[in-house]
Amino acid sequence: MDPMPGENATTPTVVEVARLLQGPPENRARLVSLFGSIDSSLKRTMVHYILDVPGAGYRVLEDMMNGSVPSITPVSPAAAWYERELKDQYGVELFGHPDPRSLLLHENWPGNCHPMVDSTQAVPWADEHYEFLQVEGDGVCEVAVGPVHAGIIEPGHFRFSVVGDNVLFLELRHFYTHKGTERLFQGTPVSSGQMLAESVSGDNCFAHAVAYCQAIEEAHAVTAPPLAQLVRLIGLELERMVAHIADVGALSGDIAFMLPAAYCSRIKEDLLQTSVRVIGSRFWRGIAVPGGVTRDISPSAAEMLREAVMQASGEFAKMAAIMLDRPSVQSRFEAAGVLHHSVAGDLAVVGPVARASGIDADIRRDHPYGAYRGLNFEIPSLHYGDVLARTRVRIDEVACSAQLILDALTQLQAGPIRTEVPQDVAFEGFSAIESPRGELLYWVKGEAGMLTRCHIKSPSFQNWPALPHAVVGNVIADFPLINKSFNLSYSGCDR
Amino acid sequence: MILDVIQRSLQSPNRLVPVESLLGRADGGRMPHVDVSLLTAEMAETACRLCPTSALSLVHREEKELLCLDYGQCIGCGRCAELKAFSIAERLTCCGVSKQRLVQYFDPERATEVETELDIPKAAGREILSLMGRALNIRQLDAGSCNGCEAEITALTNPYYDLERFGIHFVASPKHADLLLVTGSVTRNMAVAVKQTYEAVPAPKLVVAVGACGCSGGIFATSPAVAGPVDKVIPVDAYIPGCPPTPAMLLTGILEVLRRPTKPGK
Ligand code: SF4
Ligand code: SF4
Repeated sequence: MDPMPGENATTPTVVEVARLLQGPPENRARLVSLFGSIDSSLKRTMVHYILDVPGAGYRVLEDMMNGSVPSITPVSPAAAWYERELKDQYGVELFGHPDPRSLLLHENWPGNCHPMVDSTQAVPWADEHYEFLQVEGDGVCEVAVGPVHAGIIEPGHFRFSVVGDNVLFLELRHFYTHKGTERLFQGTPVSSGQMLAESVSGDNCFAHAVAYCQAIEEAHAVTAPPLAQLVRLIGLELERMVAHIADVGALSGDIAFMLPAAYCSRIKEDLLQTSVRVIGSRFWRGIAVPGGVTRDISPSAAEMLREAVMQASGEFAKMAAIMLDRPSVQSRFEAAGVLHHSVAGDLAVVGPVARASGIDADIRRDHPYGAYRGLNFEIPSLHYGDVLARTRVRIDEVACSAQLILDALTQLQAGPIRTEVPQDVAFEGFSAIESPRGELLYWVKGEAGMLTRCHIKSPSFQNWPALPHAVVGNVIADFPLINKSFNLSYSGCDR
Repeated sequence: MILDVIQRSLQSPNRLVPVESLLGRADGGRMPHVDVSLLTAEMAETACRLCPTSALSLVHREEKELLCLDYGQCIGCGRCAELKAFSIAERLTCCGVSKQRLVQYFDPERATEVETELDIPKAAGREILSLMGRALNIRQLDAGSCNGCEAEITALTNPYYDLERFGIHFVASPKHADLLLVTGSVTRNMAVAVKQTYEAVPAPKLVVAVGACGCSGGIFATSPAVAGPVDKVIPVDAYIPGCPPTPAMLLTGILEVLRRPTKPGK
């Protein structure tokens, strides 16, 4: 689409955003999120840009939408999906976007339906058209996989263009599990929002709940009591341990080395069962609430958790060492699915995937929150960017998380676990945390105890577009392994 | 080095939980239990107000005001459990049952639990059972879940639960399956794929809806992006509540689906 002449083509805010996002890699800002909202008092639609500016922290810029938005994707490819989402949700035109196809809304959504602005509850069924990108040439064939996959996995569609076994191009088509979560947040009481947040990505549900609660606290200028912050840290690190142990086991299972897979599934189950005894829930659901937590950790529970974490991290470390020592594991993991440092940077990739491609970034250290303030801990990072590097980063992070839990357990002291969140005020704010998959941010706005907007920047939404870059050039048979080494959440991305 | 691994595995204790101590267990599932003798009309009303879904509601029946608890809609948030008559259930009998049996009624005036109708056994279940005893192939289908239910279904294959000991396997293709285990509220974007997957399963077939989302739409029930609970899109034979159901609840439910048709009387 050609940029229209006149004032629509760009605005001072977009010029500023584009300026910050350009320049040499060490100086340029990272795009954290981009989303829309409706300012009901002023009857305007706004677009928000959140950037991480080196040396200056998070910076939020806002602009009016006016029915059209100049695209920043040409200067920052990391914005591509955000802008397509904006178009689907709010029905704005994108000027200068290289790929303005719809993203969230599949063929069954009428083209004129935009869930964040239309109040209609019953959307008619439509049969619109979607065009896949095509690779032409001698011997090129297409392999379509999904949305329903073989195995206990979430749905998504992958379309490979291959020559023989080699992948030339991969197009992702996701959002099969799009549940309209951001729309559902509108009108949800602040006191129930964490329940919806817990159902954004079930395996990281505690991270989502904590990120939501912190955003609410930030927006109301209150802080959770120190004890609540410690309990949250313990839950977050335990969730990270569980996630990484499960991932490493699944990676081993993907190359048919079943022993570590079975071991890891057992260690994971040990930790989940311990969670029931310690806090009453396998995945720490119902624990984080705005203003604090619902449960304390008793001294006897703390002791139980200490033992379980020590045992789990010890056993996992031994098993992981044995696994990585096998030549068969090395030959499959090494040099497979390389995500280059520069690609990872351009796409603003986050979390363990970024840290395995030489981007030394971790929100816990770079933008400390809650009980992480003032902590000093090691953040493993590697620069090879292959399956092996992503595996090793996770293995090292398990040890680091275990240490953080053990330290936090010694600091538990009796005290309040919840502060009051004021009810009768208008609020707006955001908070970011390092979830097991990387930077997770909630931006909330509302008044009188009700949310009018909640935007979720999920690490999976950010990282999925990087996966094809790691897959191209590999044989198609390595795709499951490479995909697993990213281990992104479909539901967290699709929301 | 590989010998090390084998040696370690031989030395590690057996974790398998006997089936008797799994059946009916619901700890960690955060489902509510109502002690009707402590229930007052006022408490019932408060509970309904607290409940974030419509799991708790007041219904009029035969000129009585009853408290209705629909486990199929409960997301286990634990809010009602703060009231005196409510606690977190240690056991749950309604896994793998019909939709009616997910619902319980309580009469706060008389402090009684009101009986619900019993299940009608499913013909397909009987047929599958008579064909192959208890060997069963399950195809798991995510119709739009948050992946919490998947995490727990995956746990069924770990050394604690080991579903394979019952002759039950997870298979890769719907064409190899006897039972579809469907999680999630069916999103608009998944509706077509869900129908096609159902059609690809050869008859006789069973469908089990899993989790609050699968049973009722759960927390997503009112979203315009969601087509509905599983039974709005394909026929469902049995339901397993929970958000997510624990492995013990899933196992109870799956075995119940197979066991039920052999009950005397039908
Ligand atoms: S635990 Fe279930 S029944 Fe109780 S309030 Fe929460 S959703 Fe409602
Ligand atoms: S029932 Fe709960 S755990 Fe299962 S998919 Fe729905 S929200 Fe997730």
